This record gives sequence, structure tokens and C-alpha cells, in this order.
Amino acid sequence: MFNSLKEKLAQFTKKIAEVADKKSEAEVAAVKPTLVEKTKALFKGEIILDEKDLTPVFDDLETSLLESDVALPVIEEIVKSIKMQLVGKKIKRNENLPTYVQGVLKNAIQQVLISAKPEEILNRIKKRDPARPFVIMFVGINGTGKTVTIAKFAKFLQDHGIKSVMAASDTFRAGAIEQLEKHGKNLGIRVIKHEPGADPAAVAFDAIEHAKARKLDVVLIDTAGRMQTDVNLMEEMKKIHRVTKPDLVIFVGDSLTGHDMIMQSKEFNDATEIDGVILTKMDSDARGGSALSISYVIKKPILFLGIGQKYEDLIAFNQKWMANRLLGEANVAG
Amino acid sequence: MSLDKLGSSLRSALRKIIGAPLVDEVLVKEVVKDIQRALITSDVNVKLVMDLSKKIEKRALEEKLPAGLSKREHVIKIVYDELVKFVGEKPSELRISKDGFKIMMIGIEGSGKTTSIAKLARFFQRKGYKPVLICADVHRLGAYEQLQQLAAQLNVPFHGNLNSTDAVKIVEESLSKIEKKNLVIIDTAGRHKSETELMDEMKKLAEVAQLNEKLLTIDATIGQQAGVQAKAFHEAIGITGVVLTKLDGAAKGGGALSAVATTGVPIKFIGVGEKIDEFELFDPQSFISRLLGMGDLKALLEKAEELPKEIKEVDVTKFLAGKFTLQDLYSQFEAMQKMGPLKKILQMVPGFGLSAELPEDFYKLSEEKLKKFRVILDSMTDKELESPEIINRSRMQRIARGSGTKMEDIKELLKQYQIAKRLFKSLRKGRFPALDKALRQMGLKKFK
Repeated sequence: MFNSLKEKLAQFTKKIAEVADKKSEAEVAAVKPTLVEKTKALFKGEIILDEKDLTPVFDDLETSLLESDVALPVIEEIVKSIKMQLVGKKIKRNENLPTYVQGVLKNAIQQVLISAKPEEILNRIKKRDPARPFVIMFVGINGTGKTVTIAKFAKFLQDHGIKSVMAASDTFRAGAIEQLEKHGKNLGIRVIKHEPGADPAAVAFDAIEHAKARKLDVVLIDTAGRMQTDVNLMEEMKKIHRVTKPDLVIFVGDSLTGHDMIMQSKEFNDATEIDGVILTKMDSDARGGSALSISYVIKKPILFLGIGQKYEDLIAFNQKWMANRLLGEANVAG
Repeated sequence: MSLDKLGSSLRSALRKIIGAPLVDEVLVKEVVKDIQRALITSDVNVKLVMDLSKKIEKRALEEKLPAGLSKREHVIKIVYDELVKFVGEKPSELRISKDGFKIMMIGIEGSGKTTSIAKLARFFQRKGYKPVLICADVHRLGAYEQLQQLAAQLNVPFHGNLNSTDAVKIVEESLSKIEKKNLVIIDTAGRHKSETELMDEMKKLAEVAQLNEKLLTIDATIGQQAGVQAKAFHEAIGITGVVLTKLDGAAKGGGALSAVATTGVPIKFIGVGEKIDEFELFDPQSFISRLLGMGDLKALLEKAEELPKEIKEVDVTKFLAGKFTLQDLYSQFEAMQKMGPLKKILQMVPGFGLSAELPEDFYKLSEEKLKKFRVILDSMTDKELESPEIINRSRMQRIARGSGTKMEDIKELLKQYQIAKRLFKSLRKGRFPALDKALRQMGLKKFK
């Protein structure tokens, strides 16, 4: 794909050069730095970047972002905006072009990736209306690791002296209630459950009532995994949302996900506005480009990354670290 | 259908070939680029996409045109061939032995192993086997209960040990309790290639269990890491098949296709929904055909090859130029009865389904109606048959009286005629020699 893109862009630059030969320098200056300008810059020890200089660098970057699972439309948007910033810019001659461009791109990626410090969540919980527990609902497609993430999150709260109760609102998947119950037992946290097949919203409601009665700080709602294309299940999720009025909706996404992440995050965000994201399975060698896709689509912070099977394997998200990972650390200088 | 998004973008790439006045290098390159984009946004591994598209481009530009195919059809065929090769050419079914068969399901965390096991068990149950399930997932909490509940739902025996953390021992003990001739399906914990201890556990499980099939579940939403992960599983224990899960979402499944291309292990089943019956055997050729919206090109090509080499040049031009009379229509109706449904034949034509849509009733003509049409046609004059546009109201009344039919019947016949005429007009001559052949074979050659 990029070979032909390369070709096209090369042709494009060539065409401009042809035009430049024919027309006056002034007319062309807007499109491409003229030879005169370039020479002038050269004497000052500067290079003026044009489309041609940038294309090969961007092609490589696009490929490495694709290989890191960033969705193509997201890459194209980011690259386009950066290209616009770079074309016609002067850079010092002693600077290495790829390194320079990568630096700019890395900054741009870091800007797209929003993070929120875990302390912010803790603060929000502390500052809540004391009459009502802080309700957090976890959503996502099947098999992303919602249940174990909730247990890890409960452990995180516990470590900060915050008491929680978990609602087994995944009443659909076989074994889901038992799974959450066992985590609750391991952590010493109460799990509110109904029978399999029960109304998930009712389970969550009971958990909130329980928290009120016991003066617990937080209610963590586990929901069944659902494909974003399943209209009925998405409606069911909206109902849980309506009934429980969560203070925080956390989308749990699998970091191994490819282009589907665009649709997943969009559909879930449309159904119940997502406040934050936790990406799981980051220890699986995933580059986590889906983080960039999600951030780009829903523009909400990534809170944590799941990096293992243990309860403490939940770490705060760091943009810089992620940007390095996305571009391939070897590619990025500094 | 699953993988709709990939399908529709591939189809729109092919539509370019069909719609273009000339198939030249520029067009081929453009189409190849579209295909690249379609595959990349479907999560097919970037490197594999490059290789695949280079192959398609090279073949399309350099290969000699086979007899009987237009450049247009040839390019479409190349795309089809290469994609089929990419997903593993032959459909591979599990060959189960009645004297004992052991399957182990492995995969990354959350890829859908346990659910797929229930579906697989149901699949075999319906074929008359009596599956037995073993839970060897001692790591994920609730895994035992999940499989136990599913086994109860299916009413199949279930083995496991909630108090043990030794998966290998559980499998050994369970197998010793199960009669040898049973069909055994073993569930394992999710793991990924970086979890070395779990990968070692899996190797031991495979050794102990003496498996016939080692199926890897791959989540259709997975991206670029699919190939690497699948390779690690394959190198560890030699997987024998892939079960592609979560295809009911918007997922593109390209990751799984890459895994197949990387390991050479075929996809055997696809999971297409939450329900236990939403599980299908996978056939690469029909899958790609459906994906490209081309019905069954293979069958059509075979059909075209069966035709005698020397077909007398007949004037199909007439139809394709839109000179299509009522007589021709009638012979087509007859041919349909002889040769099978027109719709089916037309759907086999590469790209036909993409270029023209016909109303459903066009295909659905009952025998009775055909008889009626014949009588109506018999009551027409030669002039009317040649130039149906002269049939006005008074002619219609006469024909109705003569054939003992109603005005509506005649109107319907004329409507069918108009539809068919439009259809043939839309297919300009020379673009679809394979279709021309098919039409000739349908008996249209009788009418010059």
C-alpha cells in the first residue's frame, strides 16, 4: 500500500516540480519551497522540509503504527495534520530528518493519548455525595477481562482504604457469578448476586442499596460481555446505566484488538458515555495501538493497563511509555 | 454474513474492474491498492498484505490470458485465487473416529475457548457423538463452574477437580475414568506466548493427553499480534486447526486470516453468535466467494470448461446490444426450466452480482405461468414477437381473447420482457465471455 502511496506522492512532488519550472517562483512558493528559498536556508544551516523529504519518513512511521495496531483512519488523520505542520518548516541542517519527524509525531501521539492520574479517581470518590456510594460500571465486549479487572480495581481501592462492594451483573455467561464471588472471597469484598439469568440492573440496584446500608464507598458493577453490534444487549446495558446512574463508566478493552477498537469504543461510548478506559493483556506483547484508536475516537483518558494475572498487575497509564511502544522504541530517539 | 466490512470493501474494489472501460496497468494498480487497504483495515498482518498484493499485481500484469476469459474476469479470478490460497485452500473437516478421539482447545485469555467447547460439543452431539468435557483450566477463577454449567446444559459428562491446581494430573486422572472410545474435549486456561510457565504447562498437557486435534481459538477482533501468537502456540505443540470466534461483531477477522497464513494451519470452525448453535464449519473457497460477492466462480468456470471447445459463433451480440425479442425471452424461460435457475447461473458470474440487481420475481416463475406465457406468445403475430413495442391496447385485447388469458397476464409478460431487455443491455458484449458461454449453454443460441 505504501509503495503505491510513495509512488503517488513522488509523482505528486514531481508534478509540482514540473509546474515550478514553468511558473514563476512566487506562484509556487505557496505549494513548495522554491530553490532560492532552499538555497538561502542552506546558507543559514537550515533545511526547508517539503513533501518529498517527508514522504519516506512518514511511510515508515505509518507502517510501524499499523504494525502496532493503530487503526488506519486514525493514523491517516494524525499523519495528515502533522504533515501540514511540517511542510515548509525550517529545521537545522545538522538534525537528522527521521529523528526530527519522529519527535514531532511522538509529541502528537502523546497529545492524543489522554491519561488520568489514579489519584483523580480516588479524589472523586472521596468528594462524592456522602448519601450515595460512588458507582462504577465496567463495560466491554466478550473476553476482554472485565471480571478480573474489577477485582484488580477493587484491590486498588482497598489499598487506598476505600471500601467497595461488587455487583455480579453478568448474569448471562456461565460461571461468571462464581468467578466474581471467588475474587470477592480472595479479597475479602462482598459480592451481591442473584440467580443466573436474573435482571442485571436489579442486581446492581441491590448492590447500591447494600452499599448505602453498610456505608460502603464504592459499588463496582460487572456486566456481561457484549458485541457492540448486538442491539438488544446494548439496550440492556443502557438499562443498567439508567437504573444505577453510575458516576464512572469504565470501558475494558483488550490491547490485542485491531481495527475493531474504533467501532467498539464508538458504539459503547454512544450507548453509555465512557469516562475512562482500562486496557488489558498488555503483558501479551501487545503494542497497544488500540489505545491510540480509542483515545482518538472517544477522547477520554486511559486509566490503567492490565499487565498480568495477579491482583496487583494493574498499573497507571503513561503516555510517554505508550508513545515509545507504538512507534517501536528502536525507532525513536529520545 | 460475517466479515461484512472486509467483504464490502473488497467488492467495491472489484466493482472498479467491472465498471472500468479498460483493464490496464493503472487500473490493476489502483485495485490492488484498494485491496491492500481493505485487508489492512481488516487487521491482516501488514507484511502479509504487502506480499499478497504484490503477488496479485504481478500475476494480473504478467500472466497470459487463459482462453475463454476476458482480462476483466482474469483479474477477478486472480484476486479470488490468491485470497483463497491465503485462507488455506481446502476445507478441512474434523475426521472423528468412533473409537476414541481427543480434542484440546487452547488460546489467549478471553478468546472464547470455553464457549467454543460448548458449541463444539453441541456440534458433535447433533452428529450423534457423545462428547465428554474435561476442565483443565486451573488458573482462571470460575472456569470450572463455567464448563460444568455448560456441560449440564448440554447434558454431557463433565470431569475436573476444583481442589487441584495441577492441570496435567487432572487430565490424566479424568482420562483414566473416561472410556477410551469417547469423544473427549479438554478446556485449558487462557495463555499467551509471554507466559512461559503456562506455555510449558500446555506442552505437558498435549503430551499426556495424546491428542487427535489441538484447536486454537482466535478472537476475530485481534489485530497485528495474531500471527505471532498463533506461531508461538504452533511451535509449542503443533496446532491442527483454528476456531475463529466473535465473528458476530463488526470484527474483520483479518488477524485470524494472518494466523492461518503464518502457521499454515486451517480454520476449521467459526463462531458467529452468542447462542450455542451459532457455530459453523469453515470452507475457505465458499467463504472467499461469499466475501467477494461472487457466488461460485469455481463452479461457473468448471461449467464453462465442460462446454465443447468448438462452439459455433452465435449471435449473442443481439441480446447484449439490447435487441432482445419476446421469442428470446420465451426461449430463456424454457432454458431456465432445463438448466436450473437463471439466478444461480448469473450469481456464478464474477462480478455479476455486483453490477446488476434483478427483482426477485424475475426468477420466480411458476411452471403454470410459463405455460400461460407460451400460450400468449403463440397468439401473437410474428411482427409482435419481433417488435413487442407495437403491442397496444387493442392488440393486447386480441391476444387475450385468442389465448384465453387476462390482460394482466399479458402485461406481466411484457414487464418481464422489459426487465430482461434492460439486463442484457447492461451487459455489453465481450466483457463477460464466461457469461456469454453460459447464456449460449442455456439455449439462447437457438435464436439468432
